[in-house]
Amino acid sequence: MKDVLDPPQAPLRSPDTVMRLARMGSMFPTRLSFLRVLMRKLAAENVQVVRPVWEIDAQGYGHAVYTVTLGGYRYSLVAVANELPDDQRTDRVIATAWDTAYVLFDGEPDAAEIARICAAAPRQEAARFTERDLVLSRANKSVRLFDHVVSKLRAGGQPDEELVRQTGYLMRTTAVYGNGKFGIADRACFEHRPGMGGSFAAEMLTVWLIRQFTHDLVEYLGGATLDRRLKRYLGIGNSTGLGMAPFLVNHPVLLNNWMIARETALARVRAIEHLSDQEAARLIELANRAGQHLSEWHVPDQQHQARIDDLRVEWASVQDAFVPSTLRKPGAIEALMQRAEAGSLDLQELMVALVIEPFGAVVDGLADCMSDPFGALCMPLADTDVVRQQIEEQAQWALQPDYEEPSGCQQFWYVSAAKQEPRLGDRFAEDGAELESPLDIGRRIKALHAALPERNLPIVEFLRDHPDHAMAVARVALADRYPYGEFRDNLIGSGCLPIDMLRCKLSFFGASKFDPKSDRWTRITLCQGAPLADELQDGADDWWLPVFGG
Amino acid sequence: MTWSVTEIATLATKAARGGGAPPEQAMRFGQAVAIHLQKNRATAALMTVLDALPEGPILNFPLAIDQALAATEDADRYVDAPDGELLTSYIETLPFETHLVVSENGGLLLKLSHDAPRAKGGAKRIEGCAALIEKMTEMAEKTLVPESESSRLSGAGAGLTDND
Repeated sequence: MKDVLDPPQAPLRSPDTVMRLARMGSMFPTRLSFLRVLMRKLAAENVQVVRPVWEIDAQGYGHAVYTVTLGGYRYSLVAVANELPDDQRTDRVIATAWDTAYVLFDGEPDAAEIARICAAAPRQEAARFTERDLVLSRANKSVRLFDHVVSKLRAGGQPDEELVRQTGYLMRTTAVYGNGKFGIADRACFEHRPGMGGSFAAEMLTVWLIRQFTHDLVEYLGGATLDRRLKRYLGIGNSTGLGMAPFLVNHPVLLNNWMIARETALARVRAIEHLSDQEAARLIELANRAGQHLSEWHVPDQQHQARIDDLRVEWASVQDAFVPSTLRKPGAIEALMQRAEAGSLDLQELMVALVIEPFGAVVDGLADCMSDPFGALCMPLADTDVVRQQIEEQAQWALQPDYEEPSGCQQFWYVSAAKQEPRLGDRFAEDGAELESPLDIGRRIKALHAALPERNLPIVEFLRDHPDHAMAVARVALADRYPYGEFRDNLIGSGCLPIDMLRCKLSFFGASKFDPKSDRWTRITLCQGAPLADELQDGADDWWLPVFGG
Repeated sequence: MTWSVTEIATLATKAARGGGAPPEQAMRFGQAVAIHLQKNRATAALMTVLDALPEGPILNFPLAIDQALAATEDADRYVDAPDGELLTSYIETLPFETHLVVSENGGLLLKLSHDAPRAKGGAKRIEGCAALIEKMTEMAEKTLVPESESSRLSGAGAGLTDND
């Protein structure tokens, strides 16, 4: 942590409160979200984006290269666009072809490297990559908006603003692979470089550059410049499925570090006793922006739209607190939080993100604590009595569900043989439960607790006879040092909605406009409202909850 | 062909699970394999322990190491396992600076510095282990659920047109 002296802080919210699926499924992006962190770094270095290669034909197919220098290192996005029949366009992992494919390359690629990437990137998982390739991605067009924007530009006009507002992106990525997948570079190759040490920094840089490519492509095909206001509103879409859920469960230290940074930010802000006129005005401005954002957030799913509608009403009901006379009273932030706690989880988490936003000076340094360079820095628990005590003190959440009841174990996580797609099955209706992935942390901890002997034993002796409990023992050992490392819910119960885990992770990316397509996958928009390449010095850090024309 | 460290660790974890190792032991094996191959240590030891599943060092090495770690601060941390390159690889996965020394009585002593965290992972490309990769790939496939129509349609969420 870079902070020389930690600011005062209120007590952290308890992990039992925070680490619940329903609450995590209500999270909003904050100024600690990875895209926001990256944008601040790009702005601080006044990064310039150059486009040394543009080999795109009249149909929009070919390749382009974008290069930036960050922290003294050059990175290049190689973008490859190909023709894709409509019947092959799918967001699923099991797709085999895409409109566009991308590699974030380490350095500036020469002609041979560009040729290699142009051949390999469109094949994605079926190809092999090298340590010079840092990130691999692909994106499909939002056909309706992409074609509309091109045709309008060709006709000398600008696209329909309502259509831009409804869609919010020209293309959506369906995977952004990092950290060694398919032969690309391990994160360890570059995480020590300035600007690249944050969680998913390389992936976020890739996404921001892809957005630039989509803007350039429609302007090239349309033969005209897209209105800057529309362009800034056009982010990059993303379709995200179940793969994110196992990632979070399998990286408890990382999850802890993300969550505790966010909770510490909130605790620091809650400790602010008096707001200046400027801070009060900023909060009012942001509260208004949040209201506009909610009014512009429309999704086809009726259940989720009803939730958004409810939040709009709730948000309107707390607006009377956002007046200077109220905000200048002592403890105004705490009062806002307490007011929100009478409402829904959506309201509470929106308020969390809002109150953090104006206080970069006391929270931005926390971004340096959100990665996991070492893994779990804790020693094994010594004996079975210590394990029992730890479970009973720290993991009551795991002991409460009845995992023997059908509703307590209805679902099972697994990996399909089809492109190793992570999936979720019905234990009582589908085959494959015998190959279940070990995401049933709560069930494992409860089983361990039941198996602990009355007479204290060294844990190694216990595990020698019960090797299947080793994972639960390891997870219990983490709880003291990493209290925000576990979803404190039953991840195999009938009530588990994977979409909640997805939203948690995506909010850390900086996603907005969550658009759930089922309880197990969602579309989102990244970089909406983010500065364009030539705007990094102009309001680069003021795009929390993007609004149209904002 | 070269492989990333993460690929190898992930593949080795899945291979061990496919061979019957519980998840925690499989994960620790995966981490050890990643270190082992980055250090150009012999693959024969890895093939041997994979063949020994669902028993053998993949289950026993973590116990031996944890037993040493669980010793009180002032006690000697003996590792009750046969010395060898694979054990060294396991030791080098620990998040603290550690090393093994042979004590005067011939036992293996684990020396570690709590105040010296060690970065995980590594970045060296891995190559020259095609037979091991093939073996681990075969074993890892045993963890995959065969594709079915119902799985494809419901397992990951589907059914909407993506041409919008």
